[in-house]
Amino acid sequence: MARDSRAIFVSYPVADKESGSFHRAFVNLSYRVPTLLRHFATVGILFCAMLAFGLQTNAEQANAPATRGSFRTVSDETGRTVRIPVPVRRVVSLAPSVTESIYALGLENLLVGDTDYCDYPEAATKIHKVGGATNPSLEEIAQLRPDVVLVIKSLNRLETVQQLERLGIATYSTDPHSLAEIRSSLRRLADVLGNPAAGGALDAELQQKEELLRQKLQAVQATRVLFVVWTEPLISVGKHTFIADALVHAGANSVVDSSQDWPQISLEEMVRLQPEFLVFANNHSESVVRDVEALAKRPGWDLLDSVKRRKFAVISDAVNRPAPRLFTAVEDLARQLHPEVFAESSVPAQPNPVPKGPN
Amino acid sequence: MTSAVKSGNRVAGEAARNANDPRLSVEQVSYAYAPNPQQAPVFTLEATSFQARAGEVVAVLGPNASGKSTLLEIISGALPPLSGRVLLNGFVTHQFEPRTRGQRIAMVQQESQLLFPSKAWEFVLQGRHPYGKSLRFESGEDVAIAQNALAQVGAEHLSDRWMDQISGGEKQRVILARALAQQPLLLLLDEPTLHLDIGAQVDLLETLRRLAAENRYTVVVVTHELNLAGEYADQVVLLQKGKALRVGSPASVYQRDLLEQVFQTQLTVETGASGRPRVSILPGS
Amino acid sequence: MRPLTLSRLLLQCLILAIILFCVMVLALKFGAIHVSLYGLGRNLLRVFLGKTSDISTEYSLILNLRLPRILLGAFVGAALSIAGTSFQALLRNPLADPYVLGVSSGAAVGAILALLAEPHLALTPEIAAVFTPLGGFLGATIAIAAVYFLGRRDGRIDSNTLLLGGVITASLLSALIVLLLTTLPTSNFRGMAYWLMGDLSSVPSQPLAWVLRVGFAVAAVVIYTTASDLNLLLSGEKEAMHLGVDVRRVRLIVYIAASALTGLAVSVSGAIGYVGLLIPHVMRMIYGSDHRILIPASAFGGAIAVVIADILARTIAAPSELPVGAITAIAGAPLFIYLLRRRFA
Repeated sequence: MARDSRAIFVSYPVADKESGSFHRAFVNLSYRVPTLLRHFATVGILFCAMLAFGLQTNAEQANAPATRGSFRTVSDETGRTVRIPVPVRRVVSLAPSVTESIYALGLENLLVGDTDYCDYPEAATKIHKVGGATNPSLEEIAQLRPDVVLVIKSLNRLETVQQLERLGIATYSTDPHSLAEIRSSLRRLADVLGNPAAGGALDAELQQKEELLRQKLQAVQATRVLFVVWTEPLISVGKHTFIADALVHAGANSVVDSSQDWPQISLEEMVRLQPEFLVFANNHSESVVRDVEALAKRPGWDLLDSVKRRKFAVISDAVNRPAPRLFTAVEDLARQLHPEVFAESSVPAQPNPVPKGPN
Repeated sequence: MTSAVKSGNRVAGEAARNANDPRLSVEQVSYAYAPNPQQAPVFTLEATSFQARAGEVVAVLGPNASGKSTLLEIISGALPPLSGRVLLNGFVTHQFEPRTRGQRIAMVQQESQLLFPSKAWEFVLQGRHPYGKSLRFESGEDVAIAQNALAQVGAEHLSDRWMDQISGGEKQRVILARALAQQPLLLLLDEPTLHLDIGAQVDLLETLRRLAAENRYTVVVVTHELNLAGEYADQVVLLQKGKALRVGSPASVYQRDLLEQVFQTQLTVETGASGRPRVSILPGS
Repeated sequence: MRPLTLSRLLLQCLILAIILFCVMVLALKFGAIHVSLYGLGRNLLRVFLGKTSDISTEYSLILNLRLPRILLGAFVGAALSIAGTSFQALLRNPLADPYVLGVSSGAAVGAILALLAEPHLALTPEIAAVFTPLGGFLGATIAIAAVYFLGRRDGRIDSNTLLLGGVITASLLSALIVLLLTTLPTSNFRGMAYWLMGDLSSVPSQPLAWVLRVGFAVAAVVIYTTASDLNLLLSGEKEAMHLGVDVRRVRLIVYIAASALTGLAVSVSGAIGYVGLLIPHVMRMIYGSDHRILIPASAFGGAIAVVIADILARTIAAPSELPVGAITAIAGAPLFIYLLRRRFA
């Protein structure tokens, strides 16, 4: 059959009947196409395919983890087994609470990278940034050549951890759900970073704080509170979170009984339960005062006793991070909820920044 | 292989038969469907038979809903009949493999629903699809056959035009050209004159008669244009409500009382100058 | 009258392949680690020759991080575009995209369930790494089967019924996803949000990568064998049947293969939007509706588009990485409007 062996005049068919400038370059272009080109094209395509596939296979083989020094195997708080180099010299933190913890432990000299949101203490903002907590740049992390990357289960993504594992970078995860767990987390973290003594010291300090507070609040009945994360829709914290545990340690009890971490609850239910106090976590107490004033005028909200009588407490948003500052926030909350217990203490009461309405 | 351009010679094997044997044999075909399980099935076509030779034009006539389209579908083999069979050169049409059917039977339907615009030559080249391997590039021979098909319907000047930019009559011609490109034995048309003006209608029927004679097609046309059928058909099948009332030459089928009964209106039948019957409506009746 | 020839097809493919290659090289240049073209070439050559120990650590990172991600993007773009072209032909609807039949929603449900179940199952690291994509692919398969059975009529696939069945399944599954995300205790919200938007940061490890390559190759080739048939299908099913197309077989093959392509792509990268919808249209404007050239052109076009979108995703908000789906949506929506006006104005 007479086919492609003779030169064929070709031109590009244009489906769109309006011959705009967009494809004018393609229209009416005709030239001879010899068969040789066909062969070149076939070979070229095959070569590219080979290249693409071959490269990927070879590249992954090139990823032999450098075996410098020794390793030890630890189990992290999500049950994964992690192989960590000894000694640890370079650490990347992918969570603000972890960054804070590292500074509290005095191990900040190990920190070589953190997230955009790591803002406490001030020095943390000067550390090399690797992106967000949920979408960090893997390249930035890899380029810093960390010995271990620290994550927390409630903030970071599993995919990030998996990708770091694929690159041979050790990833250690914490997952505290209570104050006691935060303390043990800090201990273990210090141990992983090669300075167990620092962990022991911090743990002891925090435990003392916790114990003191517990003693003070021994005889006190727990205040029923609603911890407000968001007002529209109304979101609070679940009973398995460390925030709920923090509330307990502050002499309070969250009225929300949910297994979800950030449950959305109905205002009606709150009106039924009538919590005695609302708790807000916000560094700017004046804005909270304004918000509560606004809430008092809203239908539904004005049915809440605590809103009507302006019974609310504002604590630092450090309560959102499972780090040492949480303990201070807990104490602050306790003071606001149970001022009578602190009036007799030898330590002068902290000035309460929140103006209480007439009640 | 310039002889490939003439379709009749290609089926050399089958032509070993006596040239006067009927090429198309429709034997007692019927069709029914059940609207729902409880009701009795509705018969859209009851035992119908006729035969046609190569080079013949058969017109299937009847009022609306008389089963004309169903009969055509059954003849094409796309719809298996409830009973009976259709033979094309001795082979049962609904048992054809799709590709074989595409090489033997060509169907021209009314309007083509084109989703994306295409050129007329692309459209006609589609008729070559049943030939060669499933995925292939059209050969020079295919191009020649397609061009010839366009020439045969007098539409070469439309070759490079976009399908959605030509008139109804021109589109009809291109669709017919695609059917011709299939080099079929059997050419089926379903109400091809529906959207055409009278000049185009006559044109089309003239072309069909010429093509049937030149290329030895068997043509079956469904229409309700009595006079066109009477003028150009060699055989007429008159259907009413699924029943074939009469099959035969136009002169024998166009009897006044029969036509009046079928079409429910007063008319007269005369013999025209060409010797063919002509039907006129009686005014004011 | 100048029909498509093999020479022209290969020439077009070669041109597109060259463009893709250049775009990929460009993509290799962008990122946290500084790359010089010369260094890149030298190290690529070393890899190709097997001298992996000579590669500097920097380029080793490039080859292990950036390159697989770029290749993944190319693969996903190609798969989604081929699927989009196929569905537009199969459903005879220019607005069809790979997700209209519920494949991506099925994959999402599967992936979410896998993400939720993962902490409770004691999985070995190798299985854990592929657990989510596996869940996604399983979910996709179930959705494909469900829509197929919904879309059958008289034992054959009917375009309109299929489309309806797909849309219904898709919305049902989407509602299920919202329900799952808001009621179950362990909420990996953020993870799922990224997945739902389409994200290339989870490059699959080796065994899974091979499954993807082989699956893609097989499905793409299978679809390509029906390219001529698809051309005819666009004129109408009945006509295609009379022209020798085995409509039933072609529909089934294309449906399964295109859904498989979508399932594969979505399982590893989430639902990257607009690529499967728009690339076929753009390629149709350049190359015409002949599927013998449209399918490979769409594949290359999709690959190029996603790689470019990935470059932007990695550089716009550096050092954070945006999900690729966000970029394709931002670029895709205006392009879609432009195409609509052009075609139907």
